[in-house]
Amino acid sequence: MSAQDEQRELRIVGFLCNWCSYGGADTAGVARFIQPTDLRIIRVPCSGRIDPLFIVRALLNGADGVLVSGCHPRDCHYAEGNFYARRRLEMLKRFLPITGIDERRFEYTWVSASEGQRWQHVVTEFTRRIHELGPAPFFNPVSEEEWAKLALDGAARGASCACHG
Amino acid sequence: MSGEVSQLEELKAAIRGQLDSLDCVIGWEQGYDPLHATPLFIRSEADLERLTISPLAVHNPATYTTGFKGKKIGLVVRGCHSRSVIELLNEKLIERDEVVLFGLCCDGVVSQRKIRAALPADPGFVEAVELGKDELHITVAGEQATLKLQEVLADKCLHCAYPDPLVADVLIGEKHAPRQAASPACQDAFEALGNEEKLAFWQDTMSRCIRCYACRNVCPMCVCQDHCIATSRDHLWMSQENTPVENFMFQMIHVSHLTGRCTECGECERACPVDIPLMLLRRYMNKQVREVFGHQAGIALDKTPPLLTFQVEEARIKERDW
Amino acid sequence: MERFITQDNLQRFAAGLAEKKNVLAPVASGGTTTFRRLRPGMQLDFSRMAVISPKDATFPRNETLLTVQHYPEESGKRMELQEHLPEGEMVVIGCRPCGTRGKLVFDPVYETQAIKDPYYIRRRDGATFITLACARPETTCFCHSVGSGPADEEGSDILLTAVEGGFVAKAVTEKGEQLLGDSLFEDAGAKAEEAAASNASARKLMGEAHDFSSAAEKLLKRFDDMDFWQTQSDKCISCGACTYMCPTCYCFNITDDEAGLVSRRLRTWDNCMSHTFTLEGSGHNPRSTKAHRLKNRMGHKFSYYPDLHGGQIACCGCGRCIKQCPAGVDIRQVVMAAQEYPDER
Repeated sequence: MSAQDEQRELRIVGFLCNWCSYGGADTAGVARFIQPTDLRIIRVPCSGRIDPLFIVRALLNGADGVLVSGCHPRDCHYAEGNFYARRRLEMLKRFLPITGIDERRFEYTWVSASEGQRWQHVVTEFTRRIHELGPAPFFNPVSEEEWAKLALDGAARGASCACHG
Repeated sequence: MSGEVSQLEELKAAIRGQLDSLDCVIGWEQGYDPLHATPLFIRSEADLERLTISPLAVHNPATYTTGFKGKKIGLVVRGCHSRSVIELLNEKLIERDEVVLFGLCCDGVVSQRKIRAALPADPGFVEAVELGKDELHITVAGEQATLKLQEVLADKCLHCAYPDPLVADVLIGEKHAPRQAASPACQDAFEALGNEEKLAFWQDTMSRCIRCYACRNVCPMCVCQDHCIATSRDHLWMSQENTPVENFMFQMIHVSHLTGRCTECGECERACPVDIPLMLLRRYMNKQVREVFGHQAGIALDKTPPLLTFQVEEARIKERDW
Repeated sequence: MERFITQDNLQRFAAGLAEKKNVLAPVASGGTTTFRRLRPGMQLDFSRMAVISPKDATFPRNETLLTVQHYPEESGKRMELQEHLPEGEMVVIGCRPCGTRGKLVFDPVYETQAIKDPYYIRRRDGATFITLACARPETTCFCHSVGSGPADEEGSDILLTAVEGGFVAKAVTEKGEQLLGDSLFEDAGAKAEEAAASNASARKLMGEAHDFSSAAEKLLKRFDDMDFWQTQSDKCISCGACTYMCPTCYCFNITDDEAGLVSRRLRTWDNCMSHTFTLEGSGHNPRSTKAHRLKNRMGHKFSYYPDLHGGQIACCGCGRCIKQCPAGVDIRQVVMAAQEYPDER
């Protein structure tokens, strides 16, 4: 933690299932496990409630990382929610590379309500990873210089872009 | 050429035989100039006379099917179009007994972008087009140009594994020998770029998107139509702001809602008025779906899209260690 | 006043202007040509008509009308409102006569006795149009049928005509004349005649104009004939390509974007082909199908607008809506179908 203390906090969004990981985070807190504080938790009723677009929207809006945590497979409070979630989240993770968004900025995992220690480990590791990656680049160009560079690079591709037909 | 003429006559005869029992049959006719076709809605013998099946006839008629719910219509379909129909059937968005499929074994359709690049003058100045067996003879701004059909075929056709309709009530033409799908070189080159370069590409490319939603409305699988979350007033998924990030957000919506459903007909990219290479995204996602679920949308009836089902033990999703 | 400028010098002239002003010009990029802000190192692309019209210059696709800063209660202040009226000058280079004339359709709507749109008026007054005359019509061109032509000067400040080695530049307004004082422009000499001949030949190539004068009345006659509109809109996919490409479509929507204590009021191009265009708060939609929406688009351009504004058709004939339509809907065909519809007894 000491190295991280010197860095400024990054914006990490956590979508946590109410029935497991949210409780797990609580367990970790009650047990006074030390955790980094970059994560902003959003409690959801089930990992199956998480539309992958929540994650995309967070990343495009400037989140430096997004962590999803639900119940272990076979342990869903609603029997099947996390089975569907697993497929959706895996596809999102696999899709990110084509967009130029570093797929390491998004992770999903399973933590139960009793796994306080595991929660501490997950959140510490993920936060460390995001700090290693640093702040995410803005999708919208910020300055006129950035716009100009992009536009010039685009113009260099000219009228005969080979990437479609 | 004679082959195509006899195929056209065969197709017309097949449609003529069923026209009375159908609300309409969707095919193609010549559009606003000799280089462009446009969808044709056949309701009478006179309409039928205008039918064309040349390689200029590119539009996917499956796009219109959901607008005819409860009515019985006919569709002239190429291989890729039939995949869209199958996917719509699999998702119970249309009924099999409400569509009659006139299948064409397809040798590919043109890419207007490639034609533009190959012509000596702007294709807007086209005066005449003559279709040869393997080439297009185009008169443009007083100049004659001969383009090899193979060189102006759409990318999706060059790498098409399903040129013949996978479902049809009437099949016109000769079936092709089995083919292997491949990904175009530009796709591999783009995927090999680093994150920074890819991000910069989308930032610039998305800055020219005007959010006309042609890509969405032309997509046969975009069935929410008037109720798309992108234009919903209740949940503001997107700002009206026309910035690269908002424009890209829409593409994310489109891609995520097509995961495991996209039949790679290429209509989104064809329809884009500002030439955004959307198939880069589609082909990439489809590849992921194939790898993880062994699934390809629209190649077999009675399959469930992979995100509408699950397996308790997923064979190809590795639980990550923490 | 007519002057001559070489192709290279026109590029130099544009680059020079771009140092002082915002210059919007057709630039080839990523396989297409659109109007972009001209930045150092960018080349003008006059090889094709830009796919999007130059409407952005006077009516941008998206603009922030005002920003509201809210304050926390304890600060004692409530909110501060800031208006963002457009500032500065804009030069559009390489638009075609049709695209330039688009703004003439805006004027009777956004500058009336009762209503003056300060955003539009400021942009229009601050804009200079250096228009390029067309040498040859495309298959989708019909400017001559809506009261214009390939070398129409109306709305332009300078009209360029391509001649051997460069362009003849004709000053249309005083603003244009001043610009032609630049040392990059030479004496036109005999080039002026070459330009005049080119413009005459371009007009001749367009052939006979279609007479749309009966369209206003005939479209109204088809108003209740939904079968007619259903057939006409068969292939329409109800997207917004036509309206967003159109130099004369002036409808907009206003929305508020809120983030934290700041909210912004945005104005965005709206699109009458979209379901939400007329969706009412109750959920009722008077234009619930694409047939209703296409009827409105055609009717507005060729009937309702001309009725209100002295017969002027709200279409400049650039053909972008035809060329860029994913389904090939042809506005000329639809209006003609209404015109040619046999009269009931």
